[in-house]
Amino acid sequence: MDADEDKEKMTDREQYAPGPASGAQVRKDGEKWTLILVRDLRHPPAKVWQALTDPAHLSEWAPFDADRNLGTVGPLKLSTVGTPAPHVSESIVKRAEAPRLLEYSWGGNDLRWELEPLGSGVRLTLWHNIDRGFISWGAAGWHICFDVLDRLLAGEPIGRMVGATATKFGGWPRLRAEYAKQFDMETPNLPPDASKR
Amino acid sequence: MKIKVTSIYVDDQEKALHFYTEVLGFTKKTDFSQGPYRWLTVASPEEPDGTELQLALNNNPAAKAYQQAIFQQSQPAAMFYTDDVQADYERMKARGAEFTMPPTDVTASKIAMVKDTCGNLIQVTQLMGW
Repeated sequence: MDADEDKEKMTDREQYAPGPASGAQVRKDGEKWTLILVRDLRHPPAKVWQALTDPAHLSEWAPFDADRNLGTVGPLKLSTVGTPAPHVSESIVKRAEAPRLLEYSWGGNDLRWELEPLGSGVRLTLWHNIDRGFISWGAAGWHICFDVLDRLLAGEPIGRMVGATATKFGGWPRLRAEYAKQFDMETPNLPPDASKR
Repeated sequence: MKIKVTSIYVDDQEKALHFYTEVLGFTKKTDFSQGPYRWLTVASPEEPDGTELQLALNNNPAAKAYQQAIFQQSQPAAMFYTDDVQADYERMKARGAEFTMPPTDVTASKIAMVKDTCGNLIQVTQLMGW
């Protein structure tokens, strides 16, 4: 990659702004809260499956790094990326049925991904059981991750945006507030100085 | 370089937040999350911009073994300083705190030991001078 291309890539990343909150709902089952996110992608199922399971692809868009391919059931380690201190979660792939269903734990959270063919593309649905205090955070975070994933699969990667990289975005407070409003939920507020960390 | 934050492992972050704020009297400073990870810190209202205590979820088997061992040996996982350990003892007891040692005179200080309800002993120390 020469300097001009590099500059162009930076510009794409700098110019990125998330669209309005959409495609999310919250389900409450007893004390268990589940965030459900739907995103239509114009990429074939096999390609999306690879992005969801291959560690080299995950490290381009996901909020964690994986120590092995997620395409087979069994234990693995997921390292959260972008958090204030390193954090490794002992996790388990429970179901891996390429290219349509993937279920695994991420520490104490459960994630279930479903891929339905949609024309030549995919309707991707994620169920994420998440601490109720952070549901709008999760929705906004995944929203940005899915945008990054979409561009990665289109061959126009803008680079992973997670943790502080995501929350320092101009679009972050708006996006999170939109989801919080949609879900009609109070979310923990950061003190004013937290953004300076 | 400064000591800005120190960490304590807790077995339940909500329970820890209750103890360290409602019972012990600190205030919540930062609280955000990414997936199963939650960065949660408290600070003393006497020093709101002082050192923060991170309440870190203990889901690490090695850290759990260490935490249990030092708890069984009556070793505190952290120490906080106060100007009046007797007053803090009474205030915290009134809020339901379980002390394993009431205010006790030791060399150069008076100390008390309290359970944080999350797997740790906390020492509260008042310096008395020589």
